[in-house]
Amino acid sequence: MTASKGHSGETTRTGHDTTAPVHLRPATAADIAALAPLLVRLKRLNEEFDPLLKVRDDVEERAREVLTHDLANPKSIVLAAEGTGPDRAKIVGVVRAQVRERPFYAPTMEGVILDIYLLPLHRRHGVGEYLLSETTRLLKEHGAGIVTAEFPTQNEIAARFYAKRGFRPISALHARSI
Amino acid sequence: MVQAASPPPLEPEKSAKRRRVSAPDTAEDEADQTTALGERSVRLARFYQGKVETVPKVPVRNLEDFALWYTPGIAAVARAIAADPDESFELTGRWNTIAIVTDGSRVLGLGDIGPRAALPVMEGKALLFRYLGGVDGVPIPINVASPEQFIETVERIAPAFGAINLEDIASPKCFRILEELAKKLPIPVWHDDQLGTAAASVAGYLNALELTGRSVAACQTVLLGAGAANIATARLLLALGHDPKRLTLVDHHGVLHAEREDVDELMIRNPWKYRLALATDGGGRTGQLRDALVGADVLIAASTPDPNTVQPAWIRTMARDPIVFALANPVPEIWPATARAAGAAIVATGRSDFPNQLNNSLVFPAVFRGILDARARSIPDEVVLVAARELAAQGRRSGLSADHLIPTMEEKDVFPHIAAAVAESAVKLGIARRKLGRSEFLELARSRMRRPVELAKALVRAGLTLPMPDERPARGKRGR
Repeated sequence: MTASKGHSGETTRTGHDTTAPVHLRPATAADIAALAPLLVRLKRLNEEFDPLLKVRDDVEERAREVLTHDLANPKSIVLAAEGTGPDRAKIVGVVRAQVRERPFYAPTMEGVILDIYLLPLHRRHGVGEYLLSETTRLLKEHGAGIVTAEFPTQNEIAARFYAKRGFRPISALHARSI
Repeated sequence: MVQAASPPPLEPEKSAKRRRVSAPDTAEDEADQTTALGERSVRLARFYQGKVETVPKVPVRNLEDFALWYTPGIAAVARAIAADPDESFELTGRWNTIAIVTDGSRVLGLGDIGPRAALPVMEGKALLFRYLGGVDGVPIPINVASPEQFIETVERIAPAFGAINLEDIASPKCFRILEELAKKLPIPVWHDDQLGTAAASVAGYLNALELTGRSVAACQTVLLGAGAANIATARLLLALGHDPKRLTLVDHHGVLHAEREDVDELMIRNPWKYRLALATDGGGRTGQLRDALVGADVLIAASTPDPNTVQPAWIRTMARDPIVFALANPVPEIWPATARAAGAAIVATGRSDFPNQLNNSLVFPAVFRGILDARARSIPDEVVLVAARELAAQGRRSGLSADHLIPTMEEKDVFPHIAAAVAESAVKLGIARRKLGRSEFLELARSRMRRPVELAKALVRAGLTLPMPDERPARGKRGR
C-alpha cells in the first residue's frame, strides 16, 4: 500500500507542491474501467515485496470483476479519488475496504482496509492521511469497532504510515509455496 | 598464484607501439584493436605485477633516522593528533591520500566480476590519480554482501584518508552508498561514475549551448540512459536551472514519466530515479526516444555501447543546430560522422580518438587536487558544478569551436585551474579546513601535479622504472 508520508522518495523537489488534495467519492460502475488499472498497479507494487505476491496473468480482468463484486456488496466500500485543478475529473486513486464480522473477538465488527493506491504525482503530505481518515469514518458508519489494514509484510513504507497513526501488528500471515 | 622469479622476456612488438589516434573504420577493426590492446595489457601486467608502489618521501640517511620517523619520536606526533584530530591532515599523509573503493559489482563493461578481479582496474585508477592529480590513491576492493556492509567498511577505514573515491559500483546501490557515506564521513566522498561523468557532460553542455546560442532555462534536453551518470547529470542540470518540465529521461522502457508502469517499483528500488520521474514527468514527452527527440535541443546519451542506438532519422527531427552527446564506451550510441550527416551541429563522445571527448578523466584528478588542498569536509553539488563551469571556461579560453568544446586531456594546464576553482569554492562554502586564496591554491595545484610527472621521469632516467619490455629502449625521447 502506498501512502503519502514517511518516505523520502515520495516527494518531489520541484513543482506540484501547490496542488490541492484529492476529491474522494464513492465509486460507481462507470468508474471500474479507471479504477481497475490502479488496483493492478498496487498489486504489481506488492509483487516487488515478495515473489509469493506475484500477480496472475489475468489480473486486469480479475480486478474489474472484484470491483464489480464489491460495488454489489453492501459490506464493501470502494472510493474513487479524483484529482483537483487540471486533473479534475481524472481518477487518480482508489480505496477498497470491507466490513467483516469477528466471530471470536470483540469489538465484533472489523473494518479492513484492503487497498489504498494513489498515482505518484498525487502522493504528498496529507493526502494519505485524508484517505485513511475518510475510510475509517465510513467503516465506522458501517458498524466497525476496529479498523485494520492489509499490506505486504516487507512494505516498510506502509508499516511506517500506519504505525504513525496508531496501528500495530496484531496478526501475521505466513506463507510458503507448496 | 604463480610468482615469477624474474619477469619473463617479451618479444618486441611493432604494431602495438603507438596508441592509434584515428578512429577505427569498421566494427572488426575496433574489435581487433581492443583485443590487441587487451593482450598487451595482460603481458605488461605480468611483467610489472602492479602499477603503483609506496615510496618514502622523507630522507633516510641511516637507521637512527627511524627514531624520528618511527618510535620513539613519532609518539609526540601521535599525541598531537589525539589532542586535535584535524592535525591528522597536517602531520601525516592523510591530506593527500584517498581510498579507491569498489565492491566489484559493475566493473567497466564487465559487470559483477567481484573485488579481486576489480583490483587491476583500481590500480589503474590509482595510477591516473597519481599521474594526473598528484594524489596518492590506495586501491581497496572490498568483499561485501550488502550496501550496509559497504558503508560500514568505508566508515571504518576513513580515518586514514583525506577523501574517498567510490568506483565501479552497480546502480542503484551506488546512489545510496554515496548519499549515506557523504552524510556520515567528515571527508569528501565521490563516485566517479556519477559525478565525474556528469561534471564532464555538464561542462560540454554549457559550451555547446554557448556555441549554438541557447540558454539552459529554455533548453529541451533528452537524457538517454538513466544509470549512474545520467541520474547525476539530470540532478546537476536541474541545479543549473534547467526546467524540469523540459527535461526528458529515456531508458530502455521509454520516456520516464510519473505514471509509467514501473514507477512504483522505482519508488522502492531506485528512489533517485523515481524522484526524477516525478520532477520531470517526461519533460512534456511520452513514448520512446524517437518521440522524445522531436524538437529537442540536446541529446545526452549515456546508455548502450551500440552505434545503432540513436538513429540519424531521429536527429533530423530535433531542433535547429541539435547537440548530440553519445557517451557510451567503447562504442558511442551513434558514430559522430553519422550524427553530423544527420544535421547535428555539435557531437561529443567519451572517446579520445574523436573530437570533444567528455570523459571523467578531465574532472576527477583536478577535483581531488582541489578538495585535498583545501582539506574539504565534503563535496556538495555546488562544488561539482564549479568544476564543470571551470572546465567549460577553460575550453572557452583555449578557443571554443564545434570541434573543441572543452579542453582535451593534452591541455594539462587546465587541471590546476579546475583544482584551484574547486578549492576556492570549498573555502567559500565553509567546508574547507585550509583557507587559502585562489592564486595560492593554483600554485599548490601546479606544483603538486608537476611532481608525479617529474618523479616518473626521474625513475625512468635512473633505470628504476623499467622500460616496457616489448618496446626498444628509446634514448633521449620518451612517450608522446
